[in-house]
Amino acid sequence: MKLNWFTRKGIIYRPASIVGWLILAIALAYAVYTFITIDSRSHSVSDTMINFVFNVLLIGLIYTVVGYFTEAERVE
Amino acid sequence: MKNKDEFLKQMENLQVPEMDPGEHPEMVKMAIMNAERSAALGVWLIVVPCYFLLCVFMYYFFHIHTGWFGAMFKLMESLEKTPGIAFLGPIILVVLPVICIIINALAITHVQIQKQGTQQSKVREFRVTIKIKLWNILLILLSLAVVCTFIAYVMTENISIKN
Repeated sequence: MKLNWFTRKGIIYRPASIVGWLILAIALAYAVYTFITIDSRSHSVSDTMINFVFNVLLIGLIYTVVGYFTEAERVE
Repeated sequence: MKNKDEFLKQMENLQVPEMDPGEHPEMVKMAIMNAERSAALGVWLIVVPCYFLLCVFMYYFFHIHTGWFGAMFKLMESLEKTPGIAFLGPIILVVLPVICIIINALAITHVQIQKQGTQQSKVREFRVTIKIKLWNILLILLSLAVVCTFIAYVMTENISIKN
Protein backbone atom coordinates (compact mmCIF):
# COMPACT_ATOMS: atom_id res chain seq x y z
CA MET A 1 0.00 0.00 0.00
CA LYS A 2 1.44 3.37 -1.00
CA LEU A 3 0.97 6.10 1.57
CA ASN A 4 1.06 9.60 0.14
CA TRP A 5 1.63 11.56 3.33
CA PHE A 6 4.64 13.65 2.29
CA THR A 7 6.27 15.23 -0.74
CA ARG A 8 9.99 15.88 -0.93
CA LYS A 9 11.56 19.24 -1.69
CA GLY A 10 15.35 18.83 -1.57
CA ILE A 11 16.13 17.23 1.78
CA ILE A 12 12.94 18.45 3.45
CA TYR A 13 9.74 16.42 3.49
CA ARG A 14 6.60 18.50 3.32
CA PRO A 15 3.23 17.19 4.44
CA ALA A 16 0.85 16.39 1.61
CA SER A 17 -2.10 15.07 3.60
CA ILE A 18 -3.82 15.50 6.94
CA VAL A 19 -1.81 12.63 8.42
CA GLY A 20 1.40 14.32 7.24
CA TRP A 21 0.42 17.60 8.87
CA LEU A 22 -0.49 15.71 12.04
CA ILE A 23 2.93 14.06 12.15
CA LEU A 24 4.64 17.43 11.59
CA ALA A 25 2.53 18.97 14.38
CA ILE A 26 3.47 16.13 16.76
CA ALA A 27 7.17 16.55 15.88
CA LEU A 28 7.03 20.31 16.50
CA ALA A 29 5.10 19.86 19.74
CA TYR A 30 7.65 17.31 20.93
CA ALA A 31 10.48 19.70 20.02
CA VAL A 32 8.87 22.46 22.09
CA TYR A 33 8.29 20.02 24.97
CA THR A 34 11.94 18.91 24.94
CA PHE A 35 13.07 22.55 24.91
CA ILE A 36 10.96 23.34 27.98
CA THR A 37 12.16 20.17 29.76
CA ILE A 38 15.83 20.79 28.95
CA ASP A 39 15.59 24.46 29.87
CA SER A 40 14.06 23.65 33.26
CA ARG A 41 17.01 21.45 34.32
CA SER A 42 19.99 23.05 32.56
CA HIS A 43 22.37 25.56 34.14
CA SER A 44 23.40 27.70 31.18
CA VAL A 45 22.23 28.84 27.75
CA SER A 46 24.83 26.75 25.92
CA ASP A 47 23.83 23.69 27.95
CA THR A 48 20.21 24.21 26.91
CA MET A 49 21.02 24.89 23.29
CA ILE A 50 23.41 21.98 22.74
CA ASN A 51 20.91 19.53 24.22
CA PHE A 52 18.06 21.09 22.27
CA VAL A 53 19.93 21.10 18.94
CA PHE A 54 20.84 17.44 19.48
CA ASN A 55 17.21 16.57 20.18
CA VAL A 56 15.95 18.61 17.22
CA LEU A 57 18.34 16.78 14.89
CA LEU A 58 17.10 13.43 16.20
CA ILE A 59 13.46 14.51 15.80
CA GLY A 60 14.30 15.70 12.26
CA LEU A 61 15.89 12.33 11.51
CA ILE A 62 12.86 10.36 12.72
CA TYR A 63 10.51 12.71 10.83
CA THR A 64 12.60 12.24 7.66
CA VAL A 65 12.58 8.45 8.02
CA VAL A 66 8.76 8.55 8.29
CA GLY A 67 8.64 10.88 5.26
CA TYR A 68 10.99 8.62 3.32
CA PHE A 69 8.70 5.61 3.67
CA THR A 70 5.43 7.49 3.15
CA GLU A 71 6.49 9.79 0.31
CA ALA A 72 4.11 10.33 -2.61
CA GLU A 73 5.32 9.02 -5.93
CA ARG A 74 6.46 11.72 -8.31
CA VAL A 75 4.73 11.98 -11.69
CA GLU A 76 7.20 13.25 -14.28
CA MET B 1 11.69 3.63 -67.73
CA LYS B 2 14.74 5.80 -67.44
CA ASN B 3 13.70 6.90 -64.02
CA LYS B 4 13.34 3.30 -62.97
CA ASP B 5 16.85 2.47 -64.14
CA GLU B 6 18.23 5.48 -62.37
CA PHE B 7 16.37 4.52 -59.23
CA LEU B 8 17.74 0.98 -59.36
CA LYS B 9 21.25 2.29 -59.91
CA GLN B 10 20.92 4.62 -56.95
CA MET B 11 19.67 1.79 -54.79
CA GLU B 12 22.61 -0.40 -55.76
CA ASN B 13 25.09 2.31 -54.87
CA LEU B 14 23.52 3.10 -51.50
CA GLN B 15 25.92 3.11 -48.55
CA VAL B 16 24.77 0.47 -46.10
CA PRO B 17 25.49 1.28 -42.46
CA GLU B 18 27.91 -1.18 -40.88
CA MET B 19 26.74 -3.05 -37.82
CA ASP B 20 29.09 -4.65 -35.34
CA PRO B 21 27.28 -7.56 -33.69
CA GLY B 22 29.97 -7.80 -31.01
CA GLU B 23 29.23 -4.33 -29.73
CA HIS B 24 27.36 -4.14 -26.41
CA PRO B 25 23.76 -3.16 -26.79
CA GLU B 26 22.52 -0.06 -24.98
CA MET B 27 20.70 -0.99 -21.81
CA VAL B 28 18.96 0.67 -18.93
CA LYS B 29 20.99 0.23 -15.77
CA MET B 30 18.51 0.48 -12.97
CA ALA B 31 19.83 0.94 -9.43
CA ILE B 32 18.08 -0.68 -6.50
CA MET B 33 17.23 2.59 -4.78
CA ASN B 34 16.42 6.12 -5.89
CA ALA B 35 19.54 8.33 -5.80
CA GLU B 36 17.83 11.59 -4.79
CA ARG B 37 15.75 10.01 -2.04
CA SER B 38 18.79 8.19 -0.67
CA ALA B 39 20.79 11.41 -0.64
CA ALA B 40 17.98 13.24 1.19
CA LEU B 41 17.79 10.58 3.89
CA GLY B 42 21.58 10.22 3.98
CA VAL B 43 22.04 13.89 4.91
CA TRP B 44 19.81 13.43 7.96
CA LEU B 45 21.55 10.18 8.90
CA ILE B 46 25.01 11.73 9.15
CA VAL B 47 24.14 15.21 10.37
CA VAL B 48 24.34 14.23 14.07
CA PRO B 49 27.70 12.37 13.87
CA CYS B 50 29.12 15.20 11.73
CA TYR B 51 27.92 17.74 14.28
CA PHE B 52 29.57 15.75 17.08
CA LEU B 53 32.81 15.46 15.10
CA LEU B 54 32.74 19.20 14.41
CA CYS B 55 32.50 19.83 18.15
CA VAL B 56 35.41 17.44 18.81
CA PHE B 57 37.62 19.14 16.20
CA MET B 58 36.74 22.58 17.44
CA TYR B 59 37.50 21.59 21.03
CA TYR B 60 40.68 19.53 20.65
CA PHE B 61 42.31 20.60 17.38
CA PHE B 62 41.41 24.28 17.25
CA HIS B 63 41.37 24.66 21.06
CA ILE B 64 38.10 26.56 21.15
CA HIS B 65 37.12 25.69 24.70
CA THR B 66 33.69 27.25 24.73
CA GLY B 67 30.78 25.87 26.71
CA TRP B 68 28.98 25.01 23.49
CA PHE B 69 31.50 22.41 22.34
CA GLY B 70 32.22 21.18 25.87
CA ALA B 71 28.52 20.60 26.50
CA MET B 72 28.40 18.16 23.57
CA PHE B 73 30.85 15.83 25.37
CA LYS B 74 28.78 16.05 28.54
CA LEU B 75 25.73 15.12 26.49
CA MET B 76 27.43 12.05 24.98
CA GLU B 77 28.71 11.03 28.42
CA SER B 78 25.24 11.39 29.89
CA LEU B 79 23.87 9.21 27.07
CA GLU B 80 26.37 6.47 27.99
CA LYS B 81 25.55 6.66 31.70
CA THR B 82 21.76 6.65 31.33
CA PRO B 83 20.71 2.96 31.49
CA GLY B 84 17.72 3.04 29.10
CA ILE B 85 19.43 4.96 26.29
CA ALA B 86 23.04 3.78 26.60
CA PHE B 87 22.73 2.09 23.19
CA LEU B 88 21.89 5.42 21.51
CA GLY B 89 25.51 6.66 21.33
CA PRO B 90 26.95 3.81 19.22
CA ILE B 91 23.82 3.77 17.04
CA ILE B 92 24.12 7.47 16.25
CA LEU B 93 27.88 7.46 15.73
CA VAL B 94 28.34 4.17 13.84
CA VAL B 95 25.10 2.50 12.77
CA LEU B 96 23.49 5.56 11.13
CA PRO B 97 26.56 6.35 8.94
CA VAL B 98 26.75 2.66 7.95
CA ILE B 99 23.07 2.78 6.87
CA CYS B 100 23.90 5.97 4.94
CA ILE B 101 26.74 4.17 3.14
CA ILE B 102 24.49 1.21 2.26
CA ILE B 103 21.52 3.18 0.91
CA ASN B 104 23.71 5.54 -1.11
CA ALA B 105 25.84 2.72 -2.47
CA LEU B 106 22.69 0.86 -3.55
CA ALA B 107 21.49 4.03 -5.27
CA ILE B 108 24.52 4.43 -7.52
CA THR B 109 25.74 0.89 -8.19
CA HIS B 110 24.47 -1.53 -10.79
CA VAL B 111 25.62 -5.13 -10.70
CA GLN B 112 25.20 -7.57 -13.55
CA ILE B 113 26.33 -11.08 -14.38
CA GLN B 114 26.51 -11.67 -18.13
CA LYS B 115 27.56 -14.59 -20.28
CA GLN B 116 30.15 -13.77 -22.92
CA GLY B 117 31.74 -15.74 -25.72
CA THR B 118 30.61 -18.49 -28.08
CA GLN B 119 28.17 -21.30 -27.32
CA GLN B 120 30.99 -23.74 -26.53
CA SER B 121 33.11 -21.52 -24.31
CA LYS B 122 30.84 -19.20 -22.41
CA VAL B 123 32.51 -17.12 -19.73
CA ARG B 124 30.50 -15.42 -17.06
CA GLU B 125 31.35 -11.76 -16.46
CA PHE B 126 30.61 -9.84 -13.29
CA ARG B 127 30.12 -6.18 -14.07
CA VAL B 128 29.82 -3.39 -11.53
CA THR B 129 28.77 0.03 -12.78
CA ILE B 130 28.94 3.09 -10.56
CA LYS B 131 26.93 6.13 -11.53
CA ILE B 132 28.68 9.43 -10.93
CA LYS B 133 26.19 11.14 -8.68
CA LEU B 134 28.05 13.81 -6.74
CA TRP B 135 25.84 14.01 -3.65
CA ASN B 136 25.65 10.25 -3.15
CA ILE B 137 29.41 9.81 -3.54
CA LEU B 138 30.07 12.73 -1.18
CA LEU B 139 27.74 11.24 1.44
CA ILE B 140 29.40 7.82 1.13
CA LEU B 141 32.85 9.36 1.60
CA LEU B 142 31.70 11.48 4.56
CA SER B 143 30.05 8.48 6.21
CA LEU B 144 33.16 6.38 5.64
CA ALA B 145 35.27 9.11 7.25
CA VAL B 146 32.92 9.24 10.26
CA VAL B 147 32.87 5.45 10.71
CA CYS B 148 36.67 5.17 10.32
CA THR B 149 37.20 7.97 12.84
CA PHE B 150 35.07 6.25 15.45
CA ILE B 151 36.57 2.82 14.82
CA ALA B 152 40.06 4.33 15.13
CA TYR B 153 39.00 6.07 18.34
CA VAL B 154 37.60 2.86 19.85
CA MET B 155 40.72 0.88 18.87
CA THR B 156 43.16 3.42 20.30
CA GLU B 157 41.08 3.74 23.48
CA ASN B 158 41.10 -0.05 23.99
CA ILE B 159 44.84 -0.30 23.32
CA SER B 160 45.62 2.51 25.74
CA ILE B 161 43.38 0.99 28.44
CA LYS B 162 45.04 -2.45 28.08
CA ASN B 163 48.51 -0.91 28.27
